Amino acid sequence: MRIRNVIQLHTVNRMQAFGWPLLIMLVSLAIVLVIGGLVINVATSQGAESLTEARQGMNTGMMFNGAIFALLGPLIGFGFTAMGQYFPLALGLGLTRREFATGTVLVFVFNAAFYAVIVTVGKVIEVATGGYGLGVRFFDVVYTGVGEWWQTLIQTFILILGVALVGAAITTAFHRWGQPFLWVFWIALAVVVVGVLAGALLSEGFRRLVVDVAAMGWVPWMVVAAGIGAIGGAIWLALVRRAQAR
Amino acid sequence: MLDDSKPLFVAVAEQIEDGILDGSYPEDAAVPSTNELAAFLRINPATAGKGLGLLVDAGVLIKRRGIGMFVAPGARAALRERRKLAFEDQFIAPLLREAAALGIGPEELANMITKEVAR
Amino acid sequence: MTAIVTTDLAKRYAEVNALDGVTLALEEHRIHGLLGRNGAGKTTLMKLLTGQVFASSGSMEVLGGNPVENVDVLSQTAFIQESQKYPDTFRPIDVLRIAAGAYPKWDQAYADRLVERFQLPTKRLIKKLSRGQLSGIGIVVGLASRAPLTFFDEPYLGLDAVARRMFYDELLHDFAEHPRTVVLSTHHIDEVANLLEHVVILDQGKVLLDADTDELHDAALTVSGRADDVDAFLAGREPLEHTRLGSLATATLAARDGDERAAREAGLDISPVSLQALFVHLTTANASATDPATPVATA
Repeated sequence: MRIRNVIQLHTVNRMQAFGWPLLIMLVSLAIVLVIGGLVINVATSQGAESLTEARQGMNTGMMFNGAIFALLGPLIGFGFTAMGQYFPLALGLGLTRREFATGTVLVFVFNAAFYAVIVTVGKVIEVATGGYGLGVRFFDVVYTGVGEWWQTLIQTFILILGVALVGAAITTAFHRWGQPFLWVFWIALAVVVVGVLAGALLSEGFRRLVVDVAAMGWVPWMVVAAGIGAIGGAIWLALVRRAQAR
Repeated sequence: MLDDSKPLFVAVAEQIEDGILDGSYPEDAAVPSTNELAAFLRINPATAGKGLGLLVDAGVLIKRRGIGMFVAPGARAALRERRKLAFEDQFIAPLLREAAALGIGPEELANMITKEVAR
Repeated sequence: MTAIVTTDLAKRYAEVNALDGVTLALEEHRIHGLLGRNGAGKTTLMKLLTGQVFASSGSMEVLGGNPVENVDVLSQTAFIQESQKYPDTFRPIDVLRIAAGAYPKWDQAYADRLVERFQLPTKRLIKKLSRGQLSGIGIVVGLASRAPLTFFDEPYLGLDAVARRMFYDELLHDFAEHPRTVVLSTHHIDEVANLLEHVVILDQGKVLLDADTDELHDAALTVSGRADDVDAFLAGREPLEHTRLGSLATATLAARDGDERAAREAGLDISPVSLQALFVHLTTANASATDPATPVATA
């Protein structure tokens, strides 16, 4: 098995694999810090009470700060590019589908672990310094987990890996069945979303159920996320073994 | 460079023969290897090899294992004899046919040739 | 040994039979030409033989095994395709690095020399390369991989005559020093005719011709002379092409033993048929045979 070559395929361009995501993350973090700095600056001039208020306000409001997606966003693309761009070249260079799939899974796992560690380290620093002394949040947000550090590590890992696998599965299915697959996929997704919305609007019981589900603990949520990732991975591996060059 | 009215390997063999006849490849001298010939003529090495093989079979070239191919002793004279026979077949016969069609007798033809040579 | 054997190989897509009952045997250590018009099935055949797509029916053996998902076979096989896609972020050097690891017999020094010769900008984004430079990547990979079985599918689109000649010289030179099986698919038939030892012509997914180039020289001949004489010579035989100008006529036909002598005796001029001309005759004759609406080309 020429796994090393497949890994090389994904990582030969270091800037693309690591440089840009990290750079974009740092820029995004810098912007959050600047905004935080400006807010604190204004609040300081208005007295101590206003300062504490501003800190707490930002700390609560930024729980949902999506700036971290500056990092997660490009990572979501990994699954798509793996199948859309690297797979044809792998076949062209005489690598087998099995070699490609194995190597790519390893790359996904490594990537997920690598970025999960970065996010976790960032979060630990962020929490320890009280949001860099400003009360801002970048790493310590709901998407990557606001609990313990190890929860963030696991959650971010599952998130990145799952998204990569699902993305790869969608791209492979698209290659196989073309536009009709995308229609079916989007229609199915729309039906689910509309169904949930309609249920929430029309039925009190359903509404309660949704709230209960949303409020379920961290562990069940992780199981759900890991489950979705696993299903995506299984579908992808099944499809890629029969995928043809276009 | 190569006569395209014949199969390529025959044309290759004839080119080497031409070289032997005009003294480019003296007797006992080495002729180009298959690969050199192939690269020079931009042809498939197998074709070049087949052309050389033809000459080996005809006794024009001698293969010395590990060294190369060499012009056989007496090859030049033998080639000249063979070409003479071919000359009769390929040039004299059609000449006579055309001459007969035009009503040119053997004597008149000989005169024409003598005159042409003198010119 | 035979490098490639296919038996009744077929590939059907929804609307077309891209390949239809192809039975072939290609000897190893030879340069084979795979010729055919656009859409004849050449690329499909090579994609099947390299395991990129799956056959609908039939069987194949490449370097002694089924190529599909076969590391032993595929690591010995290089397929340089005209339509190869590269990741958006890749530079030629990235492709060369990966190819270096993927092919056991890769020669880096040779690759470097080829990069130099073809003036390939290795550090520019592939997206920004010209068509000729894109072809250059394939040529470097195809030659430097030294794969025992190498497919070149239109390897020099966008290259000028000088660069194409450079490719032929490199191919011949390296082939002589490192014998291997080469399958060359191209439209520049006249340019490669002398490089090929064996030729397969595909047409509409079927094998139209499968012969050594030596034999092909005698496969067809063109006779010309007075129209009555040409007609008498043809004597009911179906020529590949037959044109008439006033009282003169020219006919190209598949040759039989004794044709040359008979033609000469009938007072006709004889000229050989080049591979390119034979290709045109065969494919147009085939097209008019299967599709009566297509007019016979008279050029």
